[in-house]
Amino acid sequence: MKCLGIEQIYLYIEKELSPARNREIKEHLAICQKCTNAFEERKLLVKAAKSLPLWETPPEFTRQVMARIGPVKTLPSAWIKAAAAALASISVTLLVIFLATGQNLSTLVLGLNHSLWNYVRNFLPVLLKLFKLASLIFGVIQQFTGYLLKAFSWLKALTSLQIQLTISIIAVISIAILIYGIKRIIFIGEKT
Amino acid sequence: MDRSRRANKAKKNPLAKPFPSFSVSTLEDRMSSMDEDKKLVERTIKGEKEAFELIIRKYQQPLFNSIGRMVGERELALEFTQEVFLKTYSSLHTYQPQYKFSTWLFKIASNYVIDFWRKKKIDTLSLDERQGSNGHNCALAVAADEKSIVRKFEISQLRTKIEDVLKEIPAPLREVFIWRHISELSYEEIAEIKGLPVGTVKTRVFQAKELIRKLLEEKK
Repeated sequence: MKCLGIEQIYLYIEKELSPARNREIKEHLAICQKCTNAFEERKLLVKAAKSLPLWETPPEFTRQVMARIGPVKTLPSAWIKAAAAALASISVTLLVIFLATGQNLSTLVLGLNHSLWNYVRNFLPVLLKLFKLASLIFGVIQQFTGYLLKAFSWLKALTSLQIQLTISIIAVISIAILIYGIKRIIFIGEKT
Repeated sequence: MDRSRRANKAKKNPLAKPFPSFSVSTLEDRMSSMDEDKKLVERTIKGEKEAFELIIRKYQQPLFNSIGRMVGERELALEFTQEVFLKTYSSLHTYQPQYKFSTWLFKIASNYVIDFWRKKKIDTLSLDERQGSNGHNCALAVAADEKSIVRKFEISQLRTKIEDVLKEIPAPLREVFIWRHISELSYEEIAEIKGLPVGTVKTRVFQAKELIRKLLEEKK
């Protein structure tokens, strides 16, 4: 192995090299006086640099900084940002319409208000009906799931695994036949 | 006062003289320190000023020690350290928790000191930036007739000499040398602070040390 580079010596001192490279350097230092001298020289330099006296802050330092700080800045919440963006968009749209049509700004605002009220008046009953329907469906599903879970727990407590599986398969087949039968009745009804 | 004595002193009374958090040795300690910092930042953002006071207590010593060595004047360093904390406080809402808080804080300090050097028209270009891609004037290999320079001094005398010559080396080399050997940051952390590749940081720290050695020879 040829003699070491100075940067390698520093990295060896600071334990920044791979274990394999460390081993090579250690072996080389054992046989090369020139590199050993260079290593001792740099090792002492690093040791002295690492142990320089500490610059200590005065005891009142923290208090002095704290006396200078005000309330911390916080980012506006997502809702405030969204509201600001919506308000800005409406304002820009109104301004553009006002500039393009030359209409009075108050007429535009009143018109917008009127349109909005119309939308609310038409959609509100539909929305309420949809909400009622959704809550009904949710109630039915919840009740059905409750019965199903109760049935499974009884089944589990009463019989062995094989009988559980058999009863489950029979139940699934019965439900499938029931749905198929209902579908047929509906179709027959449509044909007649 | 050497580092082991400072550590013992800090253990006896941790609040009186907080020891630099980044000099703790185990990975577990580092992770818990990082989590602690993030919690303190969160609490400060929520309006708890006391949490920021804890951040100051934790970092004032390492920060002042590094800034002091960079600018070389105690009063100026105190003022800069205060300003760095104020800047940090006012920018807390921009801190991204996926990064290490101490690295972010030191980055603010580094930028502050560089601005000061630029205003004072102190050269902020490193040796390689000034002289081309590989422009360091340090020897790369050990010379056959290399003299013993450092070993001629007593350790205490050597420390004083290093303090003296540190003021004479180019500002960018001084800065990375301080981050590495005085603040004891890893090369990766310094690379993040400076926005440089790790290899470049290693080369600059090496150049700084060899330049110090060269200047020590002249001062002998």
